[in-house]
Amino acid sequence: MSAASALAAAMMAEHEAIFGYGVVGAHLDRAGQDTARAAEAAHRVRRDAVAVRLAASSTPPPAARPAYALPFDVTNRDSALRLAIALEEHTAQAWRRALAETAGEDRRLAVEALMEAAAQATRWRRTAGVRPSTVPFPGAPA
Amino acid sequence: MQVRRGGSGRGAEPGTGLRPPPRAPQPPLTPGGTSRRAFLGALGALAAGSTLAGCDLLKGGGDPPAPHPLTGFVSSTIGLAALYDATFAAHPDLTAALSPVRDAHRQHVDALVRAVGGSLSTSAPPVPNVAGPPAQAVAALAAAERKGRDDAVAACLANVARLAPLLGSIAAARASHLEVLV
Repeated sequence: MSAASALAAAMMAEHEAIFGYGVVGAHLDRAGQDTARAAEAAHRVRRDAVAVRLAASSTPPPAARPAYALPFDVTNRDSALRLAIALEEHTAQAWRRALAETAGEDRRLAVEALMEAAAQATRWRRTAGVRPSTVPFPGAPA
Repeated sequence: MQVRRGGSGRGAEPGTGLRPPPRAPQPPLTPGGTSRRAFLGALGALAAGSTLAGCDLLKGGGDPPAPHPLTGFVSSTIGLAALYDATFAAHPDLTAALSPVRDAHRQHVDALVRAVGGSLSTSAPPVPNVAGPPAQAVAALAAAERKGRDDAVAACLANVARLAPLLGSIAAARASHLEVLV
């Protein structure tokens, strides 16, 4: 896998997270919606940053699909929080994979994205009452 | 001084949620679980090494091998786990909430030792002083995690690609620990 394809894969994960948060927010209370909005905004910033990096290497950025299949039905607060955690874990995995394929500023982008996804996953686990709220190796294959 | 990887079963890392994406080729150093025994084994090897260091002086001749680039990072990771141990001894009420974080640091030590081939020179950390009220102890943990996170980012950026996923995961773990501490 080249740096460009690893970054493209991470960008697709960011697309999925942005889509997923649209579903998550609908099932949360006001405070939860604010958190979801902030998390989604962070993913948009990251997605745009990857697009810039890909453009610098003349790689066309992957487009978002109109919709993505959810891993499970999201019908209430509990399942919405589970999806939010899953979205962050999924992006963390993509960014962790990108670390081995990148160097310099691309790797910095990847490690910062991995840290943000891990921190956000922990915030969601705490909101959901999942214990422990941390994992020892964020982004490592489950 | 030699630090050897302690024998431990490879426990599954906890994970939840989304179906995993197609697996990328597994890096050779994908970390697994660790045990207290493995961690103490590494510390024990450290202690044994400190007595052997004198023997090296008698051998004479030849330059000492260059230390592995991760030597200092591994030492500071052992120090993070030790800081939690000392904190729990002084403030037992913190143990339940924070022992998963302490355990993560131990697993990081184990994974790092495994990643660098099971042998590296390092030094045992001093026992930290954690006297003071619990809030102060937690603030000290947060400060240590923040520095540890920044050190891990620097190590992730400075080291070879093979080590970058592990070091990045460690940086991310420390970033997530801060969410628990503040």
